[in-house]
Amino acid sequence: MTTQSVSEELLRLKNVRKYFGLPGAPWRQAQAVKAVDGVNFVVRKGETVGLVGESGSGKSTLARVATRLLDPTQGSVEIGGVDVTNVRGRKLRPVRRKIQMVFQDPQASLNPRQSVGTILSTPFRAQGIRPTRAQLVELLQQVGLSEEHLERYPHEFSGGQRQRIGIARALSVKPDLLVCDEPVSALDVSVQAQVLNLLADLRDELGLSYVLVAHDLAVVRQVTSRLAVMYLGTIVEEGPADQVYSAPAHPYTKALLSAVPVPEPGVERDRIVLTGDVPTPIAPPSGCPFRTRCYKVQDVCATVRPVLEPVHGSTEHRAACYFPEPPPPERTR
Amino acid sequence: MPDLLWFVIRRLFGAALVMLALSFAVYLVFYAIPADPAHLACGKPCTPDRLEQARHFMQLDQSAIQQYLSFLKGIFAGRTFGDGAAAVHCNAPCFGYSFPLARPVTTLILDRLPITASIAIGAAILWLLFGVSLGVVAALNRGRLLDRLSVGVALVGVSTPSFLLGLLAILVFGFWLNMVPVNGYVPLTESPVDWAWHLITPWLVLAVLQAAAYIRLTRAQMLEELNLDYITTARAKGAGETRVVVTHGLRGVLVPIITLFGLDLGFLLGGAILTEKVFSMQGLGDLLISAVAQLDVAVVVGVTLFSAFLIILANLVVDIVHGVLDPRVSHG
Amino acid sequence: MAEPVLEVHDLHVTFTTEGGLVPAVDGIDFSVAPGETLAIVGESGSGKSVSSAAVMGLLPSNAATTGEVLLDGRELIGLPNDELRKIRGNDIALVFQDALSALNPYYSVGWQVAEAYRLHHDVSKKVAHRRAVEMLDKVGIPDAARRVDSYPHEFSGGMRQRVVIAMALVNDPRVLIADEPTTALDVTVQAQIIRLLDDVQEEFGTALVLISHDLGVVAEVADDVLVMYAGRAAERGTVRDLFYRAAHPYSLGLLGAMPRVDVPPKPRLTTIPGTPPSPGSIRTGCPFQPRCAYTHLVGERCITERPELTPRPGEGDHEAACHLGRRPEALL
Ligand SMILES: Nc1ncnc2c1ncn2[C@@H]1O[C@H](COP(=O)(O)OP(=O)(O)OP(=O)(O)O)[C@@H](O)[C@H]1O
Ligand SMILES: Nc1ncnc2c1ncn2[C@@H]1O[C@H](COP(=O)(O)OP(=O)(O)OP(=O)(O)O)[C@@H](O)[C@H]1O
Ligand code: SF4
Ligand code: SF4
Ligand SMILES: [Mg+2]
Ligand SMILES: [Mg+2]
Repeated sequence: MTTQSVSEELLRLKNVRKYFGLPGAPWRQAQAVKAVDGVNFVVRKGETVGLVGESGSGKSTLARVATRLLDPTQGSVEIGGVDVTNVRGRKLRPVRRKIQMVFQDPQASLNPRQSVGTILSTPFRAQGIRPTRAQLVELLQQVGLSEEHLERYPHEFSGGQRQRIGIARALSVKPDLLVCDEPVSALDVSVQAQVLNLLADLRDELGLSYVLVAHDLAVVRQVTSRLAVMYLGTIVEEGPADQVYSAPAHPYTKALLSAVPVPEPGVERDRIVLTGDVPTPIAPPSGCPFRTRCYKVQDVCATVRPVLEPVHGSTEHRAACYFPEPPPPERTR
Repeated sequence: MPDLLWFVIRRLFGAALVMLALSFAVYLVFYAIPADPAHLACGKPCTPDRLEQARHFMQLDQSAIQQYLSFLKGIFAGRTFGDGAAAVHCNAPCFGYSFPLARPVTTLILDRLPITASIAIGAAILWLLFGVSLGVVAALNRGRLLDRLSVGVALVGVSTPSFLLGLLAILVFGFWLNMVPVNGYVPLTESPVDWAWHLITPWLVLAVLQAAAYIRLTRAQMLEELNLDYITTARAKGAGETRVVVTHGLRGVLVPIITLFGLDLGFLLGGAILTEKVFSMQGLGDLLISAVAQLDVAVVVGVTLFSAFLIILANLVVDIVHGVLDPRVSHG
Repeated sequence: MAEPVLEVHDLHVTFTTEGGLVPAVDGIDFSVAPGETLAIVGESGSGKSVSSAAVMGLLPSNAATTGEVLLDGRELIGLPNDELRKIRGNDIALVFQDALSALNPYYSVGWQVAEAYRLHHDVSKKVAHRRAVEMLDKVGIPDAARRVDSYPHEFSGGMRQRVVIAMALVNDPRVLIADEPTTALDVTVQAQIIRLLDDVQEEFGTALVLISHDLGVVAEVADDVLVMYAGRAAERGTVRDLFYRAAHPYSLGLLGAMPRVDVPPKPRLTTIPGTPPSPGSIRTGCPFQPRCAYTHLVGERCITERPELTPRPGEGDHEAACHLGRRPEALL
């Protein structure tokens, strides 16, 4: 680890690729879905990182590679400064203690035949520990539930409560990093707000770091300090959340943000409406993956894929584009 | 289309391999059986000399592998047993020669096939019509009398053995009511009316039995189908109920039905053994049973392979029809 | 405001289920005029989809509908199915949330659009096909003449939703009911679809009923808004009434709970404690009472007396169903 690192590194993905093979006819060339196509990604202690992008951009795949639920096709995964790319089976246990995942569908990710108490003690037992009742109750209280819920079954809970149970289960082994894949997208607005507040509280109270995978940019803005934007398996822009949200540098981020409707009737906003659809991740465009929909595209964009480079005079804020948007006037130095 | 062609070619190639393995397995099984077909052929006072002669003539004195290879060769080039005036020719494609019946297996199968095909195809059309329409009616009247009735019929059909129902039908319609012939077969080319008249009972019996599974499957599938969003879309477009059910609902129901149908038909064509026995019709099933009784290995192997071929073929046709019915299935 | 084309008065929908009667919609009123957009918002289970299905007469047989649904003054409730059929897809059309399941996977998109046209126009297949191409082109399917024979699974989510919209608009309906038309789509595609709906409305003067739980979308496209809670209207008014002068504690809660992308985040979102009730669990009083932060300011009345929509003094047609009678935000 480098000496000048500001804060302890919890997760580092180095040049990660994840290709899914598609079954094909023997005389045809085998096809691969390039779900994640060369991603470098770092999460440090105390950070909450949002990972956004449209459907199919590879967010969930990246999250699963990071939590070692999927093996990367290429590249390496370091957790807590240790390369765990090739760690498997029982040896993964200590890794799982450090990094836990919360899934989108609270209904599907909880075993309906297990009581909440059993669900919460599973991660302990996987570590060879028998939890005390007091420990389980404490977990429930951390997520805003109480002791009386311990003996109940998942179907007796509402969607929001089930998601809390999912979070409590992930918290049980006191992880340093929580990777949440669309934790609120199945929930109603009022319930979604409850879970988002819970995530913020956990960050403040337990000093928990997390990666929040979501397609809803407003949800992500509410709870993250850093933002990474994915498009077709690559990160096209990343940086401190306030900088990316207020002054996006990549044309895709700019279009994405402008497309989010804002609850202010009568306020006309400059909207960049992209044409066409996201290309297939089986055969992404040459050069810049966004060039087929980009409103600033030039010939050079089709040549070599642009890499993440600092923009707007900030070292933290980076974008992968030959013609990044200029910084807003008040921030030029 | 070229995709489809490739698909068919690949599948046929696979089928050939399966048949090869199967024929080998069947050969081995019969080779392992202690009884000796030559014994039957050599007649009552069977001197060791004559037995040896018969063995040699029937080429049973060769090793299993050799016999099998001659069998394979016969398919493409034909075979000749013995030599001189006594020689027996079996023209290509030769799937073996039946000494007890003194005919090539290929001829035997082709002779018997029309009977079995008549029974199977006629019954199949009936049970498909019965099964699907009753299933749809049941689904549309879910929980009401018509539904209960169809489900009841299905239950009876599923749980009745075919020979029992066949015998009952013969007893009632053939002997008591004297309405239909109790046995025999008249070729279609001779008299279509007589042909159908002789077949009507086996058709009905088989149809009632098989329809049961189709009623259940259609009903379950239709109920599921009618809950789908695109059915609501069809209603929202202003489609009438008949159109909703037939045009939009039935298509999805047909896919699993066709799968089942292809397999059932394949099996039946391979020889509806019990039905043919009950109705005394000399089809493929009958051929197979007598062959087993006489240790006529050539016929057993031939009919088994032929049945297997039909089932594989039925599978292939099912997959192609599947692809035609459901655009999401690609023959990649 | 122009004469409304669709008016709904005192609509009740009650389902008979094994668990008893479920009053999914418990007396709501709304209306839309040509070229106007009414948004119905509310959380899952509040009765939005059931209301739209009731307008179309598309509810399952275990639903009892009472009240008035007037299309150009003509009562639709109780109309025989044959008459309703002529109205569905012709005068009132529906767009569903999930375009993949709303389209029949077994037919080409062109066929499905053409079918919608032929159900209400006595034209040849060819004419209908041409019309389908024209519509697909209009909703922005690139190369429509060629893509018309594609199947739904060959399209992306956004393109499928365009097909569904083309299908809904093919007969120039007077009213378009869109049930969460963009919920399943990405924001960039959502922006395309919203723009499309906007253009269509401008061109044809269609009255649009937009069902959504996304307040951002509502703010962008709606003229009027109806906020539903537990099968009842909580608040009704213009879109500005709702976003700038919300009068019902529930509406206010929804607005506060919504994170925003365009401004730096508040430290905490306002939340509504608890979860939405299941229909039928509240019999007397205000359905929102168990979750309401203002009920202590009113007292007993919230529990004993059900609040009805009452006009807000000096605010035109703005109505709220709350005993509070004052703007809630100033009070806490
Ligand atoms: N197991 C798999 N086998 C084959 N392809 C897969 C598999 N999992 C994901 N993919 C493909 O990889 C790409 C990225 O998928 P991923 O689920 O990571 O996207 P996402 O950004 O999470 O999208 P969403 O917002 O829809 O959840 C998609 O094209 C998807 O179809
Ligand atoms: N066929 C039915 N039988 C019994 N109850 C039903 C039926 N259909 C809907 N309901 C009930 O009616 C209520 C309203 O459902 P509806 O689908 O209108 O909700 P919604 O507001 O559209 O919600 P969402 O945002 O989830 O689509 C729900 O509580 C639902 O359980
Ligand atoms: S590199 Fe070119 S195509 Fe890609 S985002 Fe930048 S300007 Fe657009
Ligand atoms: S009537 Fe009472 S409980 Fe209902 S919203 Fe108004 S204040 Fe709250
Ligand atoms: Mg995902
Ligand atoms: Mg709904």
